[in-house]
Amino acid sequence: MGRFVVLTLNGLTEGAIYAAMALALVMIWRATRVVNFAQGAMAMFTTYLALFALERGAPYWAAFIVALLCGLLLGAVVERVLVRPVESAPPLNVVILTLGVLLVLEALAPMLFGGQIRSFPAAFSIVGMRVGSLAIPFSPFDLFTLGSVLGLMVILLLLFQKTDLGLRMRAAAFNAEVSRLLGIRVGRMLTLGWALASMVGALAGVLIAPSLLLYPTYMDQVLVFGFTGAILGGLDSPPGAVVGGLAIGFALSYVGGYFGSDLETVGALVILVAVLMIRPRGLFAWQSQRQV
Amino acid sequence: MLEIVGLTVAYGPVIALQDVSMSIPHGSITAVLGANGAGKTTLVRTISGLVRPRTGSVRLDHTEISRLAPEEIARLGIAHVPEGRGVLAELTVEENLRLGGLWRKDPTDRRRALAEAYELFAPLAGRRHLPASTLSGGERQMLSIARALVARPRVLLLDEPSLGLAGRVLGQIMARIKHLVRERGLTVLLIEQNARSALSIADEAVVLSLGRVAAADRARRLAGEEGLRHAYLGF
Ligand SMILES: Nc1ncnc2c1ncn2[C@@H]1O[C@H](COP(=O)(O)OP(=O)(O)OP(=O)(O)O)[C@@H](O)[C@H]1O
Ligand SMILES: [Mg+2]
Repeated sequence: MGRFVVLTLNGLTEGAIYAAMALALVMIWRATRVVNFAQGAMAMFTTYLALFALERGAPYWAAFIVALLCGLLLGAVVERVLVRPVESAPPLNVVILTLGVLLVLEALAPMLFGGQIRSFPAAFSIVGMRVGSLAIPFSPFDLFTLGSVLGLMVILLLLFQKTDLGLRMRAAAFNAEVSRLLGIRVGRMLTLGWALASMVGALAGVLIAPSLLLYPTYMDQVLVFGFTGAILGGLDSPPGAVVGGLAIGFALSYVGGYFGSDLETVGALVILVAVLMIRPRGLFAWQSQRQV
Repeated sequence: MLEIVGLTVAYGPVIALQDVSMSIPHGSITAVLGANGAGKTTLVRTISGLVRPRTGSVRLDHTEISRLAPEEIARLGIAHVPEGRGVLAELTVEENLRLGGLWRKDPTDRRRALAEAYELFAPLAGRRHLPASTLSGGERQMLSIARALVARPRVLLLDEPSLGLAGRVLGQIMARIKHLVRERGLTVLLIEQNARSALSIADEAVVLSLGRVAAADRARRLAGEEGLRHAYLGF
């Protein structure tokens, strides 16, 4: 099998993770105009909680659900308890607050769960599949990763585009004051937005843990790549985030494969700078025209 | 009945309303007139809860509402068509309209209200699935008013609805609103720059000047007072 195909399949799986992370960041950005630097740490924390459940004898799927539900809850709590009170403060304060959450969670994790590197199970085999006599470098777990990220995105898309609740959430994010005049309980909508975004992040955390291994800072680089994807997509566009995240996945895979894995991170940086020079408002900038 | 008693509102050191009282009876149109900066917008923003009064109270059918959140006030049936841009440009025309009635429980009635809105505002019907950002200024104003009507409000606060609207369209809208006032007991607070046309539509009128009530009377009588017209209304 050609090297290019191998790298592409590899990039697809990782890209799905970065796309999820990017989407989580964009959802929070749209709802509250905050870049949530704690997104990765929150996903790390919920993955530890899933591991905690596994070690107490819970089956994989129960632990998987634990991670997602804790993600929902953690997102809601962070918004309600920490972000809401500084809502009207200068934006920089909120950014520093999310950095604070990052530091606290990364300090808390080793105290609660131990600081050593842990392995985290995958739902399915991580050995590449075979079609007849042909070995494909794409495992059942890769398929599951791709499918579950895609599934969650479709569910969110339907929620936002097809339901009254989703309509309320979009309205609240676009214009809080007008939404209030229309009887929308904006505060609840923003909390829900953070909760859902945090759940998307939690999914990414559980899916990438088997290959990265679990330790308090294991999501940091995922956050950086996800953030790069989000910026590529224009930060304001959910489809942009997904495309941007996938693009980063492919790009990193090609850079790592053809130029050596040491260059992966540098490669991401080069892409980011290049795109921002050519399209300062992201690849999807035309979608983010806003009238404020 | 909407009752405003001793309302004082300030933005920091700027006093926008001072000891303003008025009562707006059920099933009538009350015009609020006054020069730029007189405090008209501040008055309706205070009624709908966007601005907190320093002192005084706002009562809807004897219930104090001035401490409620705007979303809760809206859910009592007070719809506010804000000054200038009130449409959500990123959403479609239909989504904007649906939002107007979402807080109301009965889905069949919501659908009926939507159909009525398209009937009254024909230009919106053809554009229902386009983003509101593609509408012209006048069409946006139509959307904003239509969205408020979809809520089937008890009280309608209109802050300069004529802005950007052609006279004939405004006439149709006002005829519809008058119909709702007579048939369903809708209560309307109408802010207008054009005092003459506002007085011709309204039953009651209040003139604000520098944040105080300068005059309040039946609209017809106010229109007849030459001194007042010259001093405050400019016609
Ligand atoms: N957000 C604000 N901050 C500070 N001052 C304000 C604010 N909004 C209004 N004001 C002041 O309050 C006063 C009343 O303003 P308001 O908007 O209520 O007037 P208006 O009667 O609606 O005027 P117009 O006819 O121009 O719309 C003005 O002096 C204005 O400068
Ligand atoms: Mg005004």
